[in-house]
Amino acid sequence: MNETERIQAACSFLLQSPPGEINDVLNDVRNIISDDDTLHAGVLPALKEYNLTQFMTVDVPGTEHQSIVSEAARLEATEDGKERFVDPRSKTSFLFDHLTLEATASQPFEVDADCEPFRAALEKATISYLTAHFHDGVSFVFTKNGTANQFIMQIVANKYNPSNYWSGRWRSEYHIDLNENTVQGKVLVNVHYYEQGNVQLSATHDVSITLPAAVVTATPSAAAAKILAQIGNEEGRYETSLNDTYTEMGEKTFKSLRRALPLTRQKLDWDRVMGYKLGAELSSSKNMFGSL
Amino acid sequence: MADLVDSMLDLMRRLPPTRTEENVTALIGICPDYADDLLGSVDQPLKLRTDRATGKEYLACDYNRDGDSYRSPWSNEYDPPLEDGTVPTPKLRKLEIAANEAFDTYREMYYEGGASSVYLWDLDDGFAGVVLLKKTITRTTPHEPSGSWDSIHVFEAAERGRQAHYKLTSTVMLQLVTRNSSQDEDQEKGNGNGGGKGAARWKHEGEVSLSGSMTRQTEQDWPLTDPSSHVTNTGRMIEEMEIKMRNLLQEVYFGKTRDIVYDLRSVDDLEKARRQRELQKELVGFIKR
Repeated sequence: MNETERIQAACSFLLQSPPGEINDVLNDVRNIISDDDTLHAGVLPALKEYNLTQFMTVDVPGTEHQSIVSEAARLEATEDGKERFVDPRSKTSFLFDHLTLEATASQPFEVDADCEPFRAALEKATISYLTAHFHDGVSFVFTKNGTANQFIMQIVANKYNPSNYWSGRWRSEYHIDLNENTVQGKVLVNVHYYEQGNVQLSATHDVSITLPAAVVTATPSAAAAKILAQIGNEEGRYETSLNDTYTEMGEKTFKSLRRALPLTRQKLDWDRVMGYKLGAELSSSKNMFGSL
Repeated sequence: MADLVDSMLDLMRRLPPTRTEENVTALIGICPDYADDLLGSVDQPLKLRTDRATGKEYLACDYNRDGDSYRSPWSNEYDPPLEDGTVPTPKLRKLEIAANEAFDTYREMYYEGGASSVYLWDLDDGFAGVVLLKKTITRTTPHEPSGSWDSIHVFEAAERGRQAHYKLTSTVMLQLVTRNSSQDEDQEKGNGNGGGKGAARWKHEGEVSLSGSMTRQTEQDWPLTDPSSHVTNTGRMIEEMEIKMRNLLQEVYFGKTRDIVYDLRSVDDLEKARRQRELQKELVGFIKR
């Protein structure tokens, strides 16, 4: 493998990192490639892609809540090539280091006055939904392409428990379009359990909801509450259906792969399994293992 | 540089089990010198092959490989054919034939399908072997669940007089996939907070994949009455181990990972529960007064 291919492989490993284990994967990759200089420059795009798609949460100086680093939060790069991310709730923007996962240089950000009332209403409704159903969640509502009637809502909830060898991440993203009366969403759930093994759950759920016309014409706060009720309803049903899928896989698929016990409900009688003929045949060649 | 192998194994414990083959290939590409270490320590899904002589299916893995050829446990032949491929000594081959027959019965009793293979090889003091079992369920309609089970039991047997000492390392790889899609209308009928005209319409589509592997080890002594005892002894050990591991897999796959999902998001309203607790506290305080 040449250098480019090695970096490519390293990038692919990083993008496959389970929730909360990007640093562990990076340490392994660093040791395997053993060329820090090439590695650092080479894997930076992959680290950025990982952070954006995984909705990396970050503490931004000067704000009291955690912010999300994602494509929806990303601002156009400035002339000096620096890329900022926006936190619309605190109306700040910040720089983010994709390697150290730190936010710096926060500064005020001017939000779009036309979009803000509805965005703020959606965010308020999202936060009350978040506190009702997520144990450790972070959520944001972003405006989309600066248009007044399109928003992106994101939720991320992480649980890392390395001392008990597990981690989990729930991500939701909804594109809310008030022109089309639609909500297009995606839920992604990842779980890693790795005590004396490596077991992973990966669940994806795409949903599209067509909103009743009455929702869109209501006041921002009433409409936002309605939209979040629809989303909450959908996610609740999804979680319940996930439970059904678990039951089905556990009771049907798992059982038909391997029985708990044979039909006889007894363990095998190995002496009989060996059969008299076989036993006799082997015994006739006694002492085949010396000491016998 | 054991350190490097440790990093590779740590990496393989973290990356998705569904992509093991691709990732092992990439690691070998980066560190070709460590190919043997890696192939010897990372279990990969078993490949199903058909014995040309008997038409019977057998399982291919690193243990019955010589170059690019694999040896069938049924005919003892390599495919593609090898002039000087490694085969067990005639004595050990006899035991291998018996073991293959016995585990074929075991497979039918527990798996009711699938394939099994046993391969043995000589060691300085005794012999070693691997017992392989695999069953796959393929979906016949798009929304039926599919799955596969791969067992790899590697053991070493050392004879000590009328006893034999066995070291067993067992890995089970289990993969389950379910696809869902549905469409429905009007979720708000009759719950009183509708107020608006027209119903919301839903459409959803998704996939749930549970995959992975777990490994366990055991060491045991068993009596040796005749050479065939090795088959009954390892048979009993492997049967016991698979029963244990099946329970473990059930617990982790359908218990642990599910609990973690519910740890992330709660179906019940947490805020309501919090308020109820507050209220209860107040009531208790009130009664105490």
